[in-house]
Amino acid sequence: MPGNRATVLVVEDEPEIRRFLRAALGVEGYRVVESATGRRGSIDAGTHKPDLAIVDLALPDLDGVDVIRRIREWSPMPIIVLSARTQERAKIEALDAGADDYVMKPFGVGELLARVRAALRHAVRPASGVPLLRFGGAIIDLEHRRATRAGEDVHLTPIEFRLLATLAKHAGMVVTHRELLTQVWGPTHAADTHYLRIYMKQLRDKLERDPVRPAHLVTETGIGYRLVADQ
Amino acid sequence: MRGRPQLVGYAWSIGAAAVATLSGVAMQPRFDVVNIAMVYLLAVVIVALRYTRGAAIAAAILSVATFDYLFVPPRGTFSVEDLQYLLTFAIMLAVALIVSRLVESVRRQAATQASLAIEAETERIRSALLASISHDLRTPLAVMAGASSSLAESGDRLDPAERQALAASIFRQVRDLSDQVAKVLQMTRLETGAMRIERDWTSLGEIVESVLARLRERLASHRVIVELPDDLPLVRIDATLVEQALGNLLENCAKHTPPDTVVRIRVQRRAGDGDVVVTVEDYAGGLSDADFARLFAKFHHGTAEGAGGGVGLGLAICRAIVRLHDGQAWAERIPGGGTAFRFTLPLEPAPAMPREMDEMNVPPRLLRALPPGRRSQSLRARRR
Repeated sequence: MPGNRATVLVVEDEPEIRRFLRAALGVEGYRVVESATGRRGSIDAGTHKPDLAIVDLALPDLDGVDVIRRIREWSPMPIIVLSARTQERAKIEALDAGADDYVMKPFGVGELLARVRAALRHAVRPASGVPLLRFGGAIIDLEHRRATRAGEDVHLTPIEFRLLATLAKHAGMVVTHRELLTQVWGPTHAADTHYLRIYMKQLRDKLERDPVRPAHLVTETGIGYRLVADQ
Repeated sequence: MRGRPQLVGYAWSIGAAAVATLSGVAMQPRFDVVNIAMVYLLAVVIVALRYTRGAAIAAAILSVATFDYLFVPPRGTFSVEDLQYLLTFAIMLAVALIVSRLVESVRRQAATQASLAIEAETERIRSALLASISHDLRTPLAVMAGASSSLAESGDRLDPAERQALAASIFRQVRDLSDQVAKVLQMTRLETGAMRIERDWTSLGEIVESVLARLRERLASHRVIVELPDDLPLVRIDATLVEQALGNLLENCAKHTPPDTVVRIRVQRRAGDGDVVVTVEDYAGGLSDADFARLFAKFHHGTAEGAGGGVGLGLAICRAIVRLHDGQAWAERIPGGGTAFRFTLPLEPAPAMPREMDEMNVPPRLLRALPPGRRSQSLRARRR
């Protein structure tokens, strides 16, 4: 939708990748600022005040994770990282350092644009103001702790509500295991992944149409979970 | 490293001479000196058979010296009365040399053969890799070169639908190609031991979910049936790797069976040891016995390989990943036609899970006894 004129900062050293990102984002109406190095990117983030940053994890001068940390020191702008398949660890580190989502290289532009849209939507809407969450026939009133599926009341436990609310706060984006565990059970349980496995199954059993192939409470293997709500 | 076995050889030559001497002393009252010489000869042969030529010569010299000193008259000196004993000495030395030489040449031959076998295997893998690259990687590259150059050079003269189709085909080929390259890299990392597995409590249901989502397009032509018990325990595995292992099995089935056939994923606990068995079954694969034996080998392509086969690493990677988890991977023929690919994952005692306040109405002991997956069910039942 041309005319939304959100500014996107692209921190990427490969000129060919910048070229197609510029084209794809430009067609969608975004203004694109490009930085070829991590240092330049950290500065451009301050001077251009973009609405969103896309940061490559493998930069020649600075680690992509450092760029994210520098931006996070002063700005909550959504950050999407581009990572290679072999950078599993770096990807999780980047997400835990404050990146909001990731796209794995090689990626299709459609996938990237979907992530960009979700991240911008999240930034525009204040995090707390998600009174009603709707997906696949389920409606959850996070404020009053009520849930229905296909018109019938569904009972959710306090922990299930907290888990759902944490996912909803980042709707459309990936939330790491560590983040979910810290938010729902507290920092002392940051490594107790099995809590999540069990409670996510409970949530799916209660809210998904087909719990074996969930369409909304989606697993990101090795990373975390993603809530795909209705738009 | 070469110094130690040699020292051991010399130690043994001293030991052998000492043993021969002791038995010689024991034999002396009742046996001829010639027979004692035979015992020394045996000691020399044994050392020559097992150790280096140097050790054999040392054993021969030691034997000659002790034999001469203790048993050849005049005793207690190194002088020799009867010249025929010189022949005994010469024979002992000659036997030591001949035997050790024979042994050495046999050893050399064995070593050459072993290195030849390794070379042949390396060569086989290398040529298989080259063959895969030339066929499986060059075809998509040719498609991409053709399609992208048409777009670049005459894109404005093509109608939009055609342009779109060309671009979409490039994207599809790139994705496949990048998958294949990733598999080659992955196999290399698995083989060189550069892969560290990071175990964490994982739900196999989520692994199945994630694989099905990732391979949605590739499996679209098949009917995928999932059998997943509700009370499946959590397993402590590297989720990313096991997801790949299962994905490779599914891709393999989809690739080698006709469209619209069934592919079944089944996860169950094995009676007995309680390990978890993950099975992927197809009902159309007509595999030969030769195929079965080499199914999990690197770069193995089925005998009836169609187009778009891939580099043939999928099953080898699957097996390597499963082995890293102390499991086994194998294939079985299904009576009536088809193939079952299975792998096991060892089960560990379930981790502790705190009770939630909301579930307090259920007696705690009962709750703990229930498998985690059943809790929500029991709650639902209670509410009704």
